[in-house]
Amino acid sequence: MPSDKPILQVRALTKRFGQKSAVRGIDLTINEGEFWGLLGANGAGKTTTIKLLTGLTRPDSGEIQYRGRDFFRFFREAKKLIGVVPQQNNLDRDLTANENLTLHAILHGIPRKHRAERINEVLDVAGLTEYRDKPVKTFSGGMKRRLVVVRSLLHHPRILFLDEPTSGLDPQIRRNLWELIQKINREQKTAVLMTTHYIEEAEKLCHRVKIISSGQVIADDTPEQLKKGIGHYVLEGGEQELFFKTMQDAKDKQKTVHGESSVREVSLEDVFIKLTGKRINV
Amino acid sequence: MFNGFTGVLYRELHVFSKKAKKQIIASSLSPLLFLIAFGWGFGKEVTVDGLPYITFLIPGLITMSALNQSYGIALELNISRFYFHVFDEFLIAPVRQVEIVLGEACFGIFRAMISAALIFIYSILFGVKLIISPIFFLAFFFHTFLFATLGVTMAMIVKDHGSQASVNTFVITPMIFLCGTFFPVDKLPAFFKGMVHILPLTYSTKVIRASLTGGNINTTYLGLMAAFAILFFGTALWAVKRVEA
Ligand SMILES: Nc1ncnc2c1ncn2[C@@H]1O[C@H](COP(=O)(O)OP(=O)(O)OP(=O)(O)O)[C@@H](O)[C@H]1O
Ligand SMILES: [Mg+2]
Repeated sequence: MPSDKPILQVRALTKRFGQKSAVRGIDLTINEGEFWGLLGANGAGKTTTIKLLTGLTRPDSGEIQYRGRDFFRFFREAKKLIGVVPQQNNLDRDLTANENLTLHAILHGIPRKHRAERINEVLDVAGLTEYRDKPVKTFSGGMKRRLVVVRSLLHHPRILFLDEPTSGLDPQIRRNLWELIQKINREQKTAVLMTTHYIEEAEKLCHRVKIISSGQVIADDTPEQLKKGIGHYVLEGGEQELFFKTMQDAKDKQKTVHGESSVREVSLEDVFIKLTGKRINV
Repeated sequence: MFNGFTGVLYRELHVFSKKAKKQIIASSLSPLLFLIAFGWGFGKEVTVDGLPYITFLIPGLITMSALNQSYGIALELNISRFYFHVFDEFLIAPVRQVEIVLGEACFGIFRAMISAALIFIYSILFGVKLIISPIFFLAFFFHTFLFATLGVTMAMIVKDHGSQASVNTFVITPMIFLCGTFFPVDKLPAFFKGMVHILPLTYSTKVIRASLTGGNINTTYLGLMAAFAILFFGTALWAVKRVEA
């Protein structure tokens, strides 16, 4: 279970690119061990938010604190807590898997004597043991993604930022990765902030979800509460969707509808579509 | 303690070692062409500043190649910033920015040393005697450090790969042709002479050439090189601190 000690506190975070506001006043508190989802349509500001929180981009205003200390004043100490899986793979194509991981280990101060062991451990987790000494440019997209994910775990971060960690992976690998991330979160109590376009992924994994639209938070709750907010059952028929508190209400209404229709339980995706008016593009 | 410095060098040297052969051959070609065209072309009869032209030329080529190689890290930094985002790994890591600057500068100096060593070999083949003294190493260090840190600065402030190429076309190449690599700057018309004295390469070339050919070292020039090195170290640090991914 997550604790109620905050690892990350964010207040009124904003970022503009020229005229365009990418992030408009985001507040966020993540406790140690919590698993958060950050959902939003393309261009909503998810990646920008993660870049702000990991120090890759400077905010125009707002406050970021890790364990109660200002991020920019205790920049290096805070960065030690952070692991990042960026939306775009940032591996060195000319280096091998082992060399990429060694570089990360050096930069994060993993002592030389533990390096090889730790690297072999994560290569095993990624299923890349036999590709240890192959250059990354010979890897498939899925192999690269797995390498980026386990690289972010190498130094045992206390908070993980995952920007669409499973995009472009086949279902089997995606499932393995979910399990891995969930395991890290449960066993090591590593906090997670994950963006994803697979809403069912967020529904399954996240303790809490923030939905953002045009750089602003439009919903923030547990997946359960969010679903309750719009009703438990949905009646789908023709062009529209209607939401109901009980199965009976939905069934009653269904009798009055012409043409094909069906009743099912509400999913987080319904919440997302209702709130943003957009279906997420995969 | 020096994870950032070690990390940057680990990365750069590993990447370099995989392309070393190609890069060394590529960087050895142009000085050789200049030597053949101008060195043999003018032969030993032509003297410049009291030196046979080829003896005058070789220290200029050493200075030029060292500049190309040390400043050349800018190009690679650009690729790693804009195409593969590898540079983000350095920015996300809990390391001091100054270590990133120093790591890259050291790598630039290392590349410059290889290219200089090649030209020393040429000088033997062409029968030119050079004097290698401590003052040469000092001047060479200032020269390569200042251009490596200038390279880091430029690579951090340009917004895309194209602007990096324009900097090379409009600043670096003219500088090589005007700042004393091929002929003494004293031969330039007054306006140009004033202009090239703003550019650090003028001083590098003079001091390095004097040190290698037994001329008088102008300590003011050496001091100016040190000043440029400190200046560009400062700008590089400033640029790495404000760079965004
Ligand atoms: N470097 C930049 N310069 C200018 N505009 C930018 C820059 N980065 C992002 N933006 C703009 O900011 C907004 C938010 O972009 P961001 O990448 O954060 O969205 P996102 O939610 O991650 O989208 P996606 O789901 O497509 O990854 C977009 O409108 C984008 O065009
Ligand atoms: Mg994004």
